[in-house]
Amino acid sequence: MTEHSPVLLVGGLSVRRGERLAVEQVSFQLARETDTALVGPNGAGKSSLVGAVLGLLPRSSGSVRILGHALGPAGELPRSVRSQIAYLPQSLALQGRFPLTVGEFVGFGVDPPGLSLAWLGNRRRTEAVLRALERTGCQDLAERRLSALSGGQLKRVLLAFCVVRPRQLLVLDEAQAGLDAPSSERFQELLLELRRQEGWTVLQVSHDLEMVRRSCDQVLCLNQRLRCSGAPDHALSAARLAELYGPNVVPYRHDHAVVPAHG
Amino acid sequence: MTMPWFLPMADPSSLLVVLGQPFMQRALLGGLLTGALGGLLGSFAVLRQLSFFSDALGHSALLGISLGILLGINPTLVLIPFAVLFALLVNQLVARSGLPADALLNIVYSTSLAFAVVALSLVETYRGGIQQLLFGDILGISWSDLSVIAVLLLVALIYLALSLRAQVLLTLNSDLAGAFGVGASRHRLAFIVLLAVVVAVSIKAVGVLLISAFVVIPACGGRLVSRHFPLYALISACLGGGCALLGLLGSGLTNLPSGPCVVIVQFAGFLMALLVSQTTRRSPATAVPAGRHIPGGDRDALESR
Repeated sequence: MTEHSPVLLVGGLSVRRGERLAVEQVSFQLARETDTALVGPNGAGKSSLVGAVLGLLPRSSGSVRILGHALGPAGELPRSVRSQIAYLPQSLALQGRFPLTVGEFVGFGVDPPGLSLAWLGNRRRTEAVLRALERTGCQDLAERRLSALSGGQLKRVLLAFCVVRPRQLLVLDEAQAGLDAPSSERFQELLLELRRQEGWTVLQVSHDLEMVRRSCDQVLCLNQRLRCSGAPDHALSAARLAELYGPNVVPYRHDHAVVPAHG
Repeated sequence: MTMPWFLPMADPSSLLVVLGQPFMQRALLGGLLTGALGGLLGSFAVLRQLSFFSDALGHSALLGISLGILLGINPTLVLIPFAVLFALLVNQLVARSGLPADALLNIVYSTSLAFAVVALSLVETYRGGIQQLLFGDILGISWSDLSVIAVLLLVALIYLALSLRAQVLLTLNSDLAGAFGVGASRHRLAFIVLLAVVVAVSIKAVGVLLISAFVVIPACGGRLVSRHFPLYALISACLGGGCALLGLLGSGLTNLPSGPCVVIVQFAGFLMALLVSQTTRRSPATAVPAGRHIPGGDRDALESR
């Protein structure tokens, strides 16, 4: 694995969900420290693709290599590689009064995969958690229940979970879903800042094409197959979007800054 | 001292006599261990939304017991493999059918119960013991039963302590857990098999009708008063064990059935936890005046740790 090797290399990947072929013969690669967006209409196979890349869903065909290591048929990866991957889901199943504090949750991000008693904690772990919470602006939330957070706070805590130990690949599945415009903007700014500091390679599923245009280096347009890919200005042109989403989608470019709400 | 008319036993001093009996000592130890085991497993089961699983398994276990009686084998020996089979069957049905787990559990347990009742109706000699099956007979617990429960508690403690991170992440989001290297299906299966064995072993003491109370009530009580996960699991186990002990003492004092007494005490414990959580949330000393913001403070910050 050299400095120029891709962090993620996907070749001829197909994923079947039941009777349906959700993803067909998709190939792409993510260069080190780049931000790639995966866009496409609902049902295009974005989450299936992400699931297969992470080894959560079985592949019908194709190969996935992460940091130079081939992903096994049942999603096997060496622990050293697995611990380099972070994933941000859309939401967490937090029922009322879930007995877990923010600090405890972020602490789980420090621990290596597998069975361990690391949750009992030590000074190094506590310091890592506090540092991660500070970097994501969540230092006041450490003792709160995870289930008592607002949507925006929860997303920042999820970022703290990712940043609490060094990682190389960050995968986000519509991580900004459910956030209002200012919160989404703040989340994206924080993500960009952390990506620069941490040297993350990012793959994010998103429906926010304006955000993708402004902050991503590469766009993958998926609708079962990879319809197009490249720099945002190329991949998100009016003609490409019409091909991907249908003729009724007209791109609108926001050239103004989002004004944060004060209240 | 005059005891209320509705309590059949009038002499508390005789409790000391009862406590001196080996069967009562075994029952108290069994209650303590079974209650703690139910509370510990329950703290995870409730969060994983598996409370109905323990209820369904409890009812289905009647079929296992009936089969044991029909085949002339000790029902306790049949119960553990039966419970494991039940867990594996439900797991497969949920994975393959795509139907909601609660609906599938309902189908499996209603059918098992129907077969069990038919089977029991064929066994004349066992009709008299139906109450023990339904509500448990903790006074009949033996030393070998106690050792099985103790070993199981130890196994559960070790497994849950080692896999705590995996269990919590799986509860929060199975994809998140998988991406962080948690073997989701392996842990899911291991947990429900463990829960099934615990339910099967506890049925002798608690009975098929009340077993889910042992799993659900202490966990819900613990959840009300703790926001730290390890403390929540510990409080649930202590509530389970403590309430079982008090319930059995109450049962010995009043000569009322032991299983129901324990469940009533568990419910009282739950109400107390509810009261504690409500009181701490409304405490004037810690209340936040309207419109004033305390950084990092929220209603949960007022709860006990």
